[in-house]
Amino acid sequence: MSEVQAPTPTEGGTTIGTGLRRWLVRPEAPALVFLAVLLVAFSLSSDKFLSGSNLESILVSVAVLGTIALAVNQVILCGEIDISTGSMMGLCAVAAGAVATSTGGLILPLLTGVAVGALAGAVNGLLATLGRIPSIIVTLGMLYALRGVILLVTGGSWITGIPDETRVLGTGSVLGIEYPVFVLLILFVVMELVSRHSTWGRNVFAVGGNRRASRLAGLPIDRVRFTAFVLVGVFVGIASIIYLGRAGSVQTNTGTGLELQVVAAVVIGGTSISGGRGSTLAALTGAVLIGVILNGLILLGVPGIWQDAVLGALILLAVATDVLRRRLLGDKS
Amino acid sequence: MSLSDDPGTQGAATVAEALPVFRLQNATKRFGGVTAVEDVDFDLRPGEVHALVGENGAGKSTLMKIVHGLYTPDEGTLEVGGEAVEFSSPRDAEGAGIAMIPQELDLFPELSITENLFVGRHRPRTRWGTLDQAAMRAEARERLRSLGVDLNVTTSVKGLSAANQQIVAIARALVGEAKAVVMDEPTASLTDREVQQLFRIISDLTSGGVGVVYISHRLEEIFTISDRTTVLRDGRHIITAPASELDAEKLVNLMVGRPLNELFTRSPHSPGEVALEVRGLSRAGEFEDVDLVLRRSEIVGLSGLVGAGRSELAQSIFGIRSPESGEIRIDGADVQIRSPQAAMERGIFYVPEERRSQGLILPFSIKNNITLSILDRIARFGFLPRSERQTADRFAKELSIRGAKVSDPVSRLSGGNQQKVVLAKSLAREPSILLLDEPTRGIDVGAKSEIYRLIDDLAKKGKAILLISSELEEVLSMSDRVVVMREGRITGEFGRGEANQQVVMTAATGGKNRPAPELRGNEASEDE
Repeated sequence: MSEVQAPTPTEGGTTIGTGLRRWLVRPEAPALVFLAVLLVAFSLSSDKFLSGSNLESILVSVAVLGTIALAVNQVILCGEIDISTGSMMGLCAVAAGAVATSTGGLILPLLTGVAVGALAGAVNGLLATLGRIPSIIVTLGMLYALRGVILLVTGGSWITGIPDETRVLGTGSVLGIEYPVFVLLILFVVMELVSRHSTWGRNVFAVGGNRRASRLAGLPIDRVRFTAFVLVGVFVGIASIIYLGRAGSVQTNTGTGLELQVVAAVVIGGTSISGGRGSTLAALTGAVLIGVILNGLILLGVPGIWQDAVLGALILLAVATDVLRRRLLGDKS
Repeated sequence: MSLSDDPGTQGAATVAEALPVFRLQNATKRFGGVTAVEDVDFDLRPGEVHALVGENGAGKSTLMKIVHGLYTPDEGTLEVGGEAVEFSSPRDAEGAGIAMIPQELDLFPELSITENLFVGRHRPRTRWGTLDQAAMRAEARERLRSLGVDLNVTTSVKGLSAANQQIVAIARALVGEAKAVVMDEPTASLTDREVQQLFRIISDLTSGGVGVVYISHRLEEIFTISDRTTVLRDGRHIITAPASELDAEKLVNLMVGRPLNELFTRSPHSPGEVALEVRGLSRAGEFEDVDLVLRRSEIVGLSGLVGAGRSELAQSIFGIRSPESGEIRIDGADVQIRSPQAAMERGIFYVPEERRSQGLILPFSIKNNITLSILDRIARFGFLPRSERQTADRFAKELSIRGAKVSDPVSRLSGGNQQKVVLAKSLAREPSILLLDEPTRGIDVGAKSEIYRLIDDLAKKGKAILLISSELEEVLSMSDRVVVMREGRITGEFGRGEANQQVVMTAATGGKNRPAPELRGNEASEDE
């Protein structure tokens, strides 16, 4: 037949070349390269940077951000967005903190935080799927509404005196690893498995990659998206316990601004903001990258007022490199 | 409407020999590894209608997009009025007097006719520097009147008929002082009378010295209207000849590159019991009171013009749209189908017309596309087994998907192989009723022939198949029965023996005999 045999690019180069190419098309590749460059640059300019304790403290500092980013990553992958996580984290922390001060223990506050988060996530999910409201509007509304609930519930006062046994996820360590890092890594592995090997994980990519085709293929697109929103709530609940442990108290403004940092982490890491393309590692890489930059800036003695500007530049850079890379690789999808 | 009878335009044509409106030489355009157009010459003389024909994917649209500045050729030169030019955007092309009227009209539905005519054009100003609305309206009215229509130029374009929208698009080209107008399948959604009106407008344009490139699949139109015809096949220039030197058979052979009967596979199958029965199905504005029966081991061709409601009908059976009244029976039992999942559970699968936007998850690998619809079946406790790869391999082999490994992105495949992936996805679900919507649209002849063989094979294996197609040859050659729709209603049903181009076209157009062999469907994008 006159069939055109499209030559596969893999037939061309050497094995090293193809291996490198295959690695470079991975969504998180630019962020990882950038991370490596930063690690070298910071360690050359500050001898304190590369010490084990500093690296671990970076990971601890991004545990809350990273945990939430792992879940929001799935929401963005399926073509939606969630910008309510800042207030949601605050509310989960308030609820878990209130339970902790009255009953103590770890399990009950944890379950409370997770339940409150899941409930808020379910509201997001229902409005975005059955309500057919764009998720950016739904979660923007929820960002304000949940902050309002925090103020109503607490009456503007702080929750202090969180008992030590509740704080273990923020202060303790296991197997020589601090708990926040341990939790983050466990959740990363879980999400990696779910994303790569589960039906839901595959469906998330499909729905984000082409919602119409997914519908025609019989995928339950509403359920897939709803589940992603609920997952965010659950992970925010877990993150709120890490936060409680680290901070030891809850203020009414807890979590303010976190929602955009989370989205930034996901996008900087390499997950496409329009959905369908990305990875679990991308979300983690993005969160760590943010942590490294903030830490490095401090070690270099850069004034704190520069942080936001640098972070903003980084987001633009991440998006620009993604566009550039797609063009270079001729990726038309 | 041959212009050679007209002494006035003949004079213009003589001048044209020396100076074409534009001339494209040795044009080559590649997309990644795929060559869409290779070493093609094409020129347009003032006052002529130059028909451009070829199968889907032959490179017609790509060629015209080069002329219109949307694509930059990798090789070759473009001259306008004898001077070499390099367009970097359609705006440059329009500035040089080359206008394009795409099949999907690029009008702004919410804007008024006047506003549409002046988008991107020089707008007259009052002495205060504001837009001179009155002058714009006057010119719009004048332009439309010169085209033989009298429309209220302040109404928005979305309410106009397809024909009037076409005329607005032409008027828009004229406001831009076009010397060349490229029309891509302008008659695809027009009625007989509207087609005659369009032909009259084209003849007015050409006698005014404007050159027209006319892209169409309807050969009869080409013989009626064109002065010269150029045939493209697989991105190459095959022939440019005066209309008088070509006839329909010759043209088809040049387009396809081989006799038609070698393209189709059709073995005898004996239709069994009724698999799907539709009674009185209606949905306002889309289709009305449709009865349809589909038997096992039967291919029913569903013919009709673009917009006749065929896709909408199939999508309603598949649960994407909900019909307002009527019944659907499967294997004799009444069913309610409210979602694609429900349809799939009943053994129905719909293969959509738009491969890239509806059929494939483009960022996915070939494997992930093939198994998309069966994940819930093969999964264990929500997790995917390793055997998924073998399942995908099996279907890739069965449908001879070539060009890449199953783990490669599906976007790396050619259009024909992508279509095989879409089919593989539906077959993996093992449906008993297949609704195929333009399954060979925009793919090359080789892949087409393979897909015909596959469809024939599926029917032999007992599947009930609805073949929606705008390609008359395809419907006639493949179907056991041909059902024709027009404006949402079934207007004809013919057994294999009685179906021919004449009766099917008559039923499709409702016209008094319009023997226009519509050889191909819509133009699909060729830059895949």
